[in-house]
Amino acid sequence: MASITIEIDGNIVNAKAGERLITITDREGISVPRFCYHKKLSVSTSCRMCLVDIEGVPKPQTACSTPVSDGMKIHTQNEKAKASQKAVMEFLLINHPLDCPICDQGGECELQDVAVEYGSDVSRFSEGKRVVAPSDIGPLIQTDMTRCIHCTRCVRFGSEIAGIMEMGGTGRGEDLKIEPFLAEGITSELSGNMIDVCPVGALTSKPFRYELRSWQMASADSVARHDLVGSNLYAQTYKGLVKRVVSGDNELVNETWISDRDRFSYEGLAHENRLLLPQIKVEGQWKEVEWNVALDFAIKGLNKNALNSRKAHKLGGLASSTATTEEFYLMQKMLREIGCENIDYRLNVNNLDDPIHLDSNIKLSDLECVDNVLVIGANLRLEQPMINLRLRKAQLAGATVSALNVKAFDYNHKTNHSTVSPNEIATILAGALKVILEKNSLEAPSYITNINPSELSINLAGKLLNSERSVIVLGEHVINNTQAASIAQMVAQIAKQVNGKTLNVTSSANTLGAQYAHFLPKSKGMNTNEMLTADMSAFLLLDIYPEYDFHHSNSAVEALSKDDVFVVSLNSFNNELVAQYSDVLLPMAAMYETSGSHVNINHDMQSFAAAVKAPEEAKPAWKILKVFADLLELQGFHYENITQVSEELRHQKIYKHKQDIAIELGKKSPAIETIWMHSAYHSDALLRHAKSLSSSKIGQTNSASMNTATAKELSLECGNTYLGVPVVVSDSVADRCVFVSSNQSTDMGRE
Amino acid sequence: MINKLKKIIKSLSLSELRSGMKITGKELFNTKTTVQYPEEKTPISPRFRGLHALRRYPNGEERCIACKLCEAVCPANAITIESEMRDDGTRRTTQYDIDLFKCIFCGFCEEACPVDAIVETQIFEYAFESRDGSIMTKDRLLKVGDDNEESISQARSEDAKYR
Repeated sequence: MASITIEIDGNIVNAKAGERLITITDREGISVPRFCYHKKLSVSTSCRMCLVDIEGVPKPQTACSTPVSDGMKIHTQNEKAKASQKAVMEFLLINHPLDCPICDQGGECELQDVAVEYGSDVSRFSEGKRVVAPSDIGPLIQTDMTRCIHCTRCVRFGSEIAGIMEMGGTGRGEDLKIEPFLAEGITSELSGNMIDVCPVGALTSKPFRYELRSWQMASADSVARHDLVGSNLYAQTYKGLVKRVVSGDNELVNETWISDRDRFSYEGLAHENRLLLPQIKVEGQWKEVEWNVALDFAIKGLNKNALNSRKAHKLGGLASSTATTEEFYLMQKMLREIGCENIDYRLNVNNLDDPIHLDSNIKLSDLECVDNVLVIGANLRLEQPMINLRLRKAQLAGATVSALNVKAFDYNHKTNHSTVSPNEIATILAGALKVILEKNSLEAPSYITNINPSELSINLAGKLLNSERSVIVLGEHVINNTQAASIAQMVAQIAKQVNGKTLNVTSSANTLGAQYAHFLPKSKGMNTNEMLTADMSAFLLLDIYPEYDFHHSNSAVEALSKDDVFVVSLNSFNNELVAQYSDVLLPMAAMYETSGSHVNINHDMQSFAAAVKAPEEAKPAWKILKVFADLLELQGFHYENITQVSEELRHQKIYKHKQDIAIELGKKSPAIETIWMHSAYHSDALLRHAKSLSSSKIGQTNSASMNTATAKELSLECGNTYLGVPVVVSDSVADRCVFVSSNQSTDMGRE
Repeated sequence: MINKLKKIIKSLSLSELRSGMKITGKELFNTKTTVQYPEEKTPISPRFRGLHALRRYPNGEERCIACKLCEAVCPANAITIESEMRDDGTRRTTQYDIDLFKCIFCGFCEEACPVDAIVETQIFEYAFESRDGSIMTKDRLLKVGDDNEESISQARSEDAKYR
């Protein structure tokens, strides 16, 4: 676009021809009031608040929709502009109730702020005000639609960003109402952003309703740890408690949106089930004790069971993937110092002998620019909502999205779904690889020579070959595929052949942090599954809840509960099974209560400071681990603060798994394949304790989907249960497969 | 020289003493203005800023809606409020404390209140004997309001035309 100069309020300003006036005034720091304009949404010009005077144009023009041209002279502050803005303000206030004192938006309300400058102190409107009956749109968002000024930001957010137009305007003129079209309310996984975009108090946070006024809270920068993105956010605190979470801006990570999971998980912090005091088990009875007593007890136990008798190889260290990078680092450093190599964070993987190794080599912001996407085994929208958001943008810009899934998931963008059984994925990919290699006139390796590419393979290969910037996304449903490692390797090869990129979302939370911290068994060390079957004598567990975290939950509990196994558990919540197998329970700080860092899929190590202090006796896990190391008289743990730990680990390179395993095809299981996933709002302990999220539609998800034929084979129908989960018969599921998405623990099934 | 002479004559003739005694003599026979407190009390302006009270509506519903504007405006940070959503869905306080040791009786809380809930009454005799007596809790404030609603509303109506 050509560079031009325009004049705003007498100052010469450079701009590009055709740019919207409001983007220029925003850039130059010139204040123009607005309600409907939002930098990330389309322009609707519905509020008329941004009227400015342009020389040569008889009537004032809206800055949000007016493109600039060379030599334009604009006045934002002259009498004409001011008078029109004041007139608009008067109209907006006609129907707006005067309930600011009880409105949760009071103090952070755009209408309130603008009214101070442009509003009149006396209303000339003496007729009746419009009243809109309240409606319940779900457990996360509170509506007070009488306050709505019809800016339509929430409607545009729904249709343009969240990809599901749940809010809409019905009626005309005085009767225009913004409301959800369906009685079930708002179900989007990004719905909380509507609260942020609403300029008035029409949409506010329901869990936060009437708790505090905005000016009472302090705001702390933080990073969400529920997914691989690490969305930037602000934790707003009051008297040592997190009271609300709002989104932060970071173009490279989460733009300005955050998922509901990140926004409302803070509720779990105040759950009555928090572990608050250190406890030790004496003769089968739990006793609440002081920290020093508990730590001494733990050290004695470890010494007796493992260390004194030079049996460090019989000690195991497991951590949940939600830990901070520093916690991973300190725990593995401590264990390696005492000679223990049994370290692992991969708890929910069935086969760890051939683990998946696939690099993520595309930045989040570049995901928007791809022209072809292949998603394998992921319900991206719920599992990685922020990544799906970027892919949706790419799709809207013309990219083709194909998905190989066990079920045709709703991705809220146009997707070519192919429902395939997990068994077939490897063969399909092998077929596609063969086509691509043939096309590139390369020799096909032996394992695919016998493959006869199916139509689907040829189709996928064609799309990949015809695109310039493609990305293959490997998702979480693949981790327990019998051919997971082969699939990952073929994905890498296909991407290499078509000059594409790969995105590995097979594990979530801070698993990349764990890899940076080398929280994995090296050389002689045992992995999770080996530890649970080996004859171990002691365990150190970091925030593990067995019935949700382990793939083999029953056998894990059994292995940990053995009489001669000494288990030290650091947990943030109470849990019956943990109490059953542990000998020492140490209360640790949860998210927002500890400082540390998170490594996201861009490989950015994002540090955050604790927003609040942990309740009662709970302590940040990195401090507990440091004291633990000191008590074990280990060298090299003289950290005074978390940044020293971060500095030390920043020099580490990410741990690479061994490469190039032999790809074997045709390993097929004859039985019916079950893919078990926790519902998106039950993926970690904090989320499971967040009440509002659990009562939302996504949080209530609990179904075992299968098609009619499979249901018949299993002699099940709607209303029955499969592995304790209610059966849903749906023909969008691949044949002889069951997809379980559950908010229950896995102790009923998945063995 | 002349001035010095005038001064000497003035002091010798006791003129200042006489003018003083003149006023004393006059006041001896005038009506007395001394108020016999506590038997008698001076009239109080409707704008008097005395002990605080929380008012109710005539139907018995408390006026305060926990907007916390008084808490925000209080220059002495004497007010502490906690709020919740009451079962009927309205916004109410669970705690409303005024620390009388901190309060400087500026009346800002009264001015900030959008619903005329917190008021400063004409009560100025509220000496307390225990230390925690300085904390006016929500119950105590409502009690003051209930007991003095008549005088509070009268004072409001008298002052209304000047607001």
